[in-house]
Amino acid sequence: MSKPRVAIFDFACCEGCQLQIVNLEEEILDLIQVVDVVEWREAMSEQSHDYDIAIVEGSITRHEDELRLEVIRSRCKILIALGACATIGGVNKMKNNFDLNDVKECVYGKDAKMPHLNTDMTKAVDEVVPVDAYIHGCPIDRKEFGTVIRALLLGKRPPIPDYPVCVECKAKENICRYEYNEICLGPIIRAGCGARCPSSNFRCFGCRGYVDHPNVEAAKEVMDKYGLTVEDLKQKMILFGSKQGHTL
Amino acid sequence: MSVLKFTPKQFDDFVLAMLKTGRPVMAPQAKNGRFAFEPLASPADLRLDYDVTILPPKKYVLPQVEKLLEFEVRGPCRSVQEAQPMILLGVHPYDLVAILQMDELFRQGQYDKHYMDRRCQITLIALDVVTPSANVFASSMGTAAVSSGYDILLTILKDGSILADAATAKGQELIRLAGSAAPASEADLKARKAVWEHNNAVLNKHILLCKPSLLPKILEQSYNHPVWEEKARLCYSCGSCNQVCPTCYCFDVQDRVNWDLKTGYRFRCWDGCLLENFATVAGNHNFRKDRAARYRHRLYRKGKYVPEKIGGQIACVGCGRCISACTAKIANPVEVYNRLLQDTKLG
Repeated sequence: MSKPRVAIFDFACCEGCQLQIVNLEEEILDLIQVVDVVEWREAMSEQSHDYDIAIVEGSITRHEDELRLEVIRSRCKILIALGACATIGGVNKMKNNFDLNDVKECVYGKDAKMPHLNTDMTKAVDEVVPVDAYIHGCPIDRKEFGTVIRALLLGKRPPIPDYPVCVECKAKENICRYEYNEICLGPIIRAGCGARCPSSNFRCFGCRGYVDHPNVEAAKEVMDKYGLTVEDLKQKMILFGSKQGHTL
Repeated sequence: MSVLKFTPKQFDDFVLAMLKTGRPVMAPQAKNGRFAFEPLASPADLRLDYDVTILPPKKYVLPQVEKLLEFEVRGPCRSVQEAQPMILLGVHPYDLVAILQMDELFRQGQYDKHYMDRRCQITLIALDVVTPSANVFASSMGTAAVSSGYDILLTILKDGSILADAATAKGQELIRLAGSAAPASEADLKARKAVWEHNNAVLNKHILLCKPSLLPKILEQSYNHPVWEEKARLCYSCGSCNQVCPTCYCFDVQDRVNWDLKTGYRFRCWDGCLLENFATVAGNHNFRKDRAARYRHRLYRKGKYVPEKIGGQIACVGCGRCISACTAKIANPVEVYNRLLQDTKLG
């Protein structure tokens, strides 16, 4: 049986999640034992229109990017969203909270009217085309990348946690950030990162997106118990949790 | 063997002797202003005065992640046993009761070889509580002091001396490393009894207003009580209460394949009944979809299901960890049980 052909594409992002694939180092040799990588701009020169699996990094911010993504979707059997920008829109979605002309002027100054900067509201990949599998995080976790790819190659559903970060945080015996009267998004954000940030004395920033049914109402009421406000909470949620249109 | 009495210096020497056996010694140590069971490197790091550890010592009898077997895809598999001898030092009575209960659960019915092999290699040194934690209610649950189940029981007296009671062959073998400790006197044993009586009274920051043995009966009448909805409204379904609970033993079993896509391994990892998909089965059916149903399940399991299954001890030992760990502050079992008691007609 021939190996599945894989192509890796990037849209609006820092390309740091692809870099995590590069950072697999020796493990890349294992990866290319089981797949043929036919296009990957960050790591090779070749291109191809013929692939089974597309790995898409980045968020979608321009009309022409939507068209390009639709073509990619039409060519692949499995589409994987790679990293927070692709899975949830990522930090790029913050701009949806503002008037887009103001955003462009703030970022690009006198060049704001250049045609290639004519961007729309930021969308996650699945707001444009159907997505078959998600590899969450900003950046992604290399180990999880391997686990997801291997599961898909065997036709299995990738084992992505559907519970909050607290599970992994408690397992590491971290002190809850709320005990320091800090807002942490851990209770409503999908685990799988090994509670990386709280384990380094930061709060959870929410890069893996919400669990399937976050208890946001509870999150609001819990603020009171720690002398915090719902406004404080929302300010933290917009970094990775912004929507189409205004979040606040 | 009679009870021995150590000076603090003699006890440090005993700990050093344990470390020299080469067996890992897991013991309470300071961690970020709290305490945690961790591998001990030196007697100086040992904190016998700890109030409660963040996670219970169950993490050593039932590891968070434990490899069970290795397999070939569509081929044979072979069981993996990774357990090594270990000394578990400084286990509070309530945590010991929880481990003994877990022993029974993993022994009954389908004998769990992975658990039992690991458990049998542990030498368990219990320790009477010196500092009550903020939320402990072991007195209410009858777990503030124990008279069996340990290999060695340590009790620290007011003058700082440490009594050690080796109750099993494993314990006696270990205590032989201690050298020249003197036997405890009648007065020492009386002082030890006073510690137990004291702890039976004061490890009670939340007071259960009935005997724990009444809980199955109370719960029998409380399935549709409004408290489940009221509390669960604020539940994040984060499973923190499960994670820190010394009597929660549920686990998930998962497979992973290696890059060759031909070999792999199966492991189990902690699961929790408060997590949204704990009860999701094949076909994506979730038979405990509502937060309130999951919230209720935990307290039914502690107060009714487990005691009815194995008899005796209620499956809440009063460590109070869930009360501290719950961000939404809804996990206090005593609060819920007392409320149910109020609304129950006991004939």
